[in-house]
Amino acid sequence: MSTIFLQFLLGVIFLTIVFLHIAKKNFGAAIAYGIQSLAVVLILVNSFLETGTISLLFIILLEFIVKVLLAPIFFIRLIKKNKLKFSVSTYLNTPLTLIVIAVLTAIVHSQKLVPLTGIIMANQELLALALSAIFLSLFLIVNRRGALSQIAGVLSFENSIVAFSVFAGLEQSAALQVGIIFDIIIWLIIAIVFASMLYKHFGSLDVTSMRHLKD
Amino acid sequence: MINMIASPSSFIFLLICLMVGAIGSLLLRKYDDIANKWSGIFGIIGSLWGIIFSISAITIGNNQSFTLGESGFQFLSLSFNIDALSAFFIFVISLIALFCSIYGIGYVKHFYKKYDIGALGFFYHLFLVGMLLVVSASNGIFFLIAWEIMSIASYFLVVYDRNDEQNVKAGFLYLLMTHVGTAFIISAFILLYKFTGSFDFEVIKANVGLIPLFVKDIIFVLAMIGFGTKAGIIPFHIWLPAAHPAAPSHVSGLMSGVMIKTGIYMMIRIFLEILQPVPAWWGLAVLVVGAVSALIGVLYALTEHDIKRLLAYHSIENIGIILLGLGSSLMFSSMNMPSLALLGFVATLFHTLNHATFKSLLFLSAGSVINATHTRNMEEYGGLIKYMPYTAFFFLIGSMAISALPPFNGFFSEWLTFQSLFEGIKLLDFPQKWIFISAAGSLAFTGGLALACFVKAFGSTFLARPRSEEVMHAKESSFSLKLAMGGIAVLALLFGVFSGPMISFIKKIGENLAIFKNAPALLSASTQGVGLENGTAYVSGPAFFIIFIIVAFIAVIFVKYLINKNQKIKIGATWDCGTDLTPRMEITSTGFARSIILIFKGLLKPSIQYEIDYQDSESRYLQKSMNVTLGVEDVNNSYIYKPLQKFINALSVKAKKIQGGNINAYILYIFAALIITLFLAL
Repeated sequence: MSTIFLQFLLGVIFLTIVFLHIAKKNFGAAIAYGIQSLAVVLILVNSFLETGTISLLFIILLEFIVKVLLAPIFFIRLIKKNKLKFSVSTYLNTPLTLIVIAVLTAIVHSQKLVPLTGIIMANQELLALALSAIFLSLFLIVNRRGALSQIAGVLSFENSIVAFSVFAGLEQSAALQVGIIFDIIIWLIIAIVFASMLYKHFGSLDVTSMRHLKD
Repeated sequence: MINMIASPSSFIFLLICLMVGAIGSLLLRKYDDIANKWSGIFGIIGSLWGIIFSISAITIGNNQSFTLGESGFQFLSLSFNIDALSAFFIFVISLIALFCSIYGIGYVKHFYKKYDIGALGFFYHLFLVGMLLVVSASNGIFFLIAWEIMSIASYFLVVYDRNDEQNVKAGFLYLLMTHVGTAFIISAFILLYKFTGSFDFEVIKANVGLIPLFVKDIIFVLAMIGFGTKAGIIPFHIWLPAAHPAAPSHVSGLMSGVMIKTGIYMMIRIFLEILQPVPAWWGLAVLVVGAVSALIGVLYALTEHDIKRLLAYHSIENIGIILLGLGSSLMFSSMNMPSLALLGFVATLFHTLNHATFKSLLFLSAGSVINATHTRNMEEYGGLIKYMPYTAFFFLIGSMAISALPPFNGFFSEWLTFQSLFEGIKLLDFPQKWIFISAAGSLAFTGGLALACFVKAFGSTFLARPRSEEVMHAKESSFSLKLAMGGIAVLALLFGVFSGPMISFIKKIGENLAIFKNAPALLSASTQGVGLENGTAYVSGPAFFIIFIIVAFIAVIFVKYLINKNQKIKIGATWDCGTDLTPRMEITSTGFARSIILIFKGLLKPSIQYEIDYQDSESRYLQKSMNVTLGVEDVNNSYIYKPLQKFINALSVKAKKIQGGNINAYILYIFAALIITLFLAL
């Protein structure tokens, strides 16, 4: 695959995260996560085409099933089952959110972070975009009040790290990656069960309404 | 034979003996009486062995350096170095522990069926072991472990009587302050390690030249605060008047008489040995701290009507007096005057020993009084001399000794301290001269106030008429209590009468330190007395004793004559409305101290509260009753600790907001930390 296509895929990941920041409906967030995961899978396919490692193909298949199919399905079922309504509550309003996104992206593209984004000079632009995606995912967890959005933030964070690792040449052994995907499955199940329980108890997934759980 | 007694294995035997006492007490905790006796007997055996060991070690004069196997940790070695100075402190600890252990056998009985006697015995022995390790450790890390053993064991002893909420609070304050002090000590040791590459005291001493002067100054300040907190110097003393009274009385005697001296030991070890040569301002700083502690300590003691708190404040005063000797010694050593420095050093050690004896005697006597009356409030005593004559006699001896009245020991060590200060006044120039003059003035003033304070303490406790029902039911102490008090009282007298040989013995300890080696003799001491070689001062213990006996004899004869002479009945006009004398007409301890409190009201900031009950609450013309409460709060508490507490509380409230339970905020912190780290690292 050409660099432009890879750039496009990374752009998709980046834009889906921006979309998650401004999404108005949970259903849209679940679909955005699915698209984002598909982009990651395609990046991994590119890696497979370059290396030809069979174990990587197995991982890609696993990743596709878990992240592209299962996770969005789980989310959508959760939304339907609990009639989760629109939960867009954020700490910062949309214009301010967009400004912070711009600032974070600018920071990543600054000269100061060149030692990190330039691990592989040929992929500098791609690494900068992947690092921006990592930062934006973290900011998503910080800025959103809804537990579902925060779960989506954590999953995007993981997707961004995978993308960054691929372009930085930091891919780990197949066994480790299988382990990570297994972790994600377990994490997804627990997070969704937990979110269902929270919703039943509080009638909301807004984490600020759970404040009296403190102390 | 003497070499065998002073050997390392003999010291280990001493530690084992005390540990057997500790563990045995714990194992026998179900049987109160057996656990108490086990603890007492092993305390006595261990202490006696400690006395024999230390005297032998000082007599031989050799350093006993040894290590107990490998610790398995890089910086820690279980190494000991018992030189004459360590042996002296082992002697002081063992001597007081001997009498406190004897006292404990009888005293602890009133805790039977109330508290765990085995736990008391366990922590009592652990406390002794901790103190012995502190004065014998020669590795910084090992020292800190020993310091912690001592502190933690004493904490559990302070909160032993846990049914009283005040004791638990006192214990918490003690634990807090002792660890603040430890933080300073650790900082000092880390700085020493940074520049010498070792925690071993001998290695540090050998490489002291590698430490820059300003770092030495920082180490001095850190050590002064760290060890000063344990010693109870002003303004780090606030734990002392709370914690010492809270502990059982025989433990109070040990804490006030011995434990606080471990701080003095380390000051001597670091300032006079390890960090030599030292700048002159260290000595002046120690002198100023000593003078202030002595004066403020005795002033607060005067305002107290809690007998144990009064004694605790006197410990602060006496630590001040000890520091006056140490400060002058440091000053003279920095000016290359070793003979005078040795004079100050001898005064320091002699007062350390003397204070240990008379302060433990006073605490044990006070313990007996409290045991009999069930209160620490002196306002409720009075007339106890009729019910507890022996205890009164022992308390009187302690009072005379602490008030520096000859022929008791306190007089001779204070006399030596005065000589050291006078020599400074004579030989030094401005401004050092004026600091020495102020220190001598402070010591003289302190002596006078201490005398007034003990006139108050003895008078309001033992003289006049009982002021409460409890006093009228008081009974004399049991045999073991009297034996312990009597033993220390005899020592207070002997150390005074034979102050010459005692000073000569202590001088020998000083001459083992490198800075005093080959110092020309200035102090001459013999059985007849002590004097300076230049002939400016001389004092004789035996002569004072003879004068004391003659004066006491004449006084007894005179009083007897006054009582027995044929008195005529005089009839005159009625006075005092013709009413009988009652205890309400006696001067109370608060009333006695009131005039002095008013003189120092600028410093002591006394407060008066009136509670008036009226016959008719509406008209308020006729009073039914009035309660007047005179209070004196420690100004250090008002101006240092309370604002500090307020500041920390405000900071904590702010810090609580940081940890608000909001997951978004936590992720934000992580995110911010990530970006900052990236910016700093890249």
